[in-house]
Amino acid sequence: MLMHVINVGHDVFKANDKIAEHNKKHLDEHGVFALNIMGAIGSGKTTLIEEAIKKLKDRYRIAVIAGDVVADLDASRFEKLGVPTVPANTGRECHLDANLVHRSLEQIDLENTDILFIENVGNLICPVDYKLGEHVRVVVVSVSEGDDIILKHPMIFKTSDFAIIHKVDIAEAVSVDPSTMVDDVHSLNPFIPVLLTSKHNEASINEWVDYIESHLK
Amino acid sequence: MHEYSLACEIFENVMAIAQENNASGVRSITLKIGRLAHINPDQLLFSFETLAEGSIAKDAQVNVEFVPPSIECECGYSGTLDDISDETADTETSLCEYIARMNCPVCGGITKISGGRELIIQTIEVEQ
Repeated sequence: MLMHVINVGHDVFKANDKIAEHNKKHLDEHGVFALNIMGAIGSGKTTLIEEAIKKLKDRYRIAVIAGDVVADLDASRFEKLGVPTVPANTGRECHLDANLVHRSLEQIDLENTDILFIENVGNLICPVDYKLGEHVRVVVVSVSEGDDIILKHPMIFKTSDFAIIHKVDIAEAVSVDPSTMVDDVHSLNPFIPVLLTSKHNEASINEWVDYIESHLK
Repeated sequence: MHEYSLACEIFENVMAIAQENNASGVRSITLKIGRLAHINPDQLLFSFETLAEGSIAKDAQVNVEFVPPSIECECGYSGTLDDISDETADTETSLCEYIARMNCPVCGGITKISGGRELIIQTIEVEQ
């Protein structure tokens, strides 16, 4: 019997990154700005996207890829706002990957889209390793997840471009000091902008919208 | 966690390469896993063993080598962080510890992560 060692050197994540680069090129060719919205289940990702859509849809053409293990429920929330939405069902998977996004992009009229929201699966760990082709990675965390949630999930904060600490209106009720959470984010990623938001504080939603628009001017 | 789907991808790659090389068996597989990747090696190996049952890779020894994080700075510095050898530290603690060490040792600036997030099928040893 002959033994033979084969050098392979195949990086499983690089294979995903290649498709992500292809997606990004495709988006750039059509002038689409894409945000990858990541965060835990119940952190407020869907609400923040909804609120942004309400304020932006009269001025920009918006589309959504709603990723979830069963994506149809969230997708119907976006469709109610009158924006084209593609549900990306991941089934047993805990994250979106570039290939799923690639298939979803085929169902979107990119020529007539300015902003693409990609809502990732509710999870602070698995989406980190998978680029999708997005322009910015936004991480959403709510005060109700507890003020140790950030240091428990360091890589998502280290590798994101924008952080939102959401539901700050109930911070006191859940005994959390949002400023501690901001400090934790900055201890991992010193220059990342951090925004405190609440659905019931319109000024904070406007700041979120301003952040999105700052990439479109 | 996504170890099962990663194990599927590894298994498919290993089987394809074994077939290309007319292998009758897979003796060993060496994986390189970045310290910053969210992969639990035990879960990955368990998933792989389950998938490989009944295949020519069923007796394959899977070896794991860890890749320490490496960083690059705008000032031109690039380097590798020392491995955190404390086996008792949990994943989050060691991730925070690596991130805390990511300032540039030359200029003190914020660096970019250039390595340590990979999952590489490095070598496969086959019987022919």
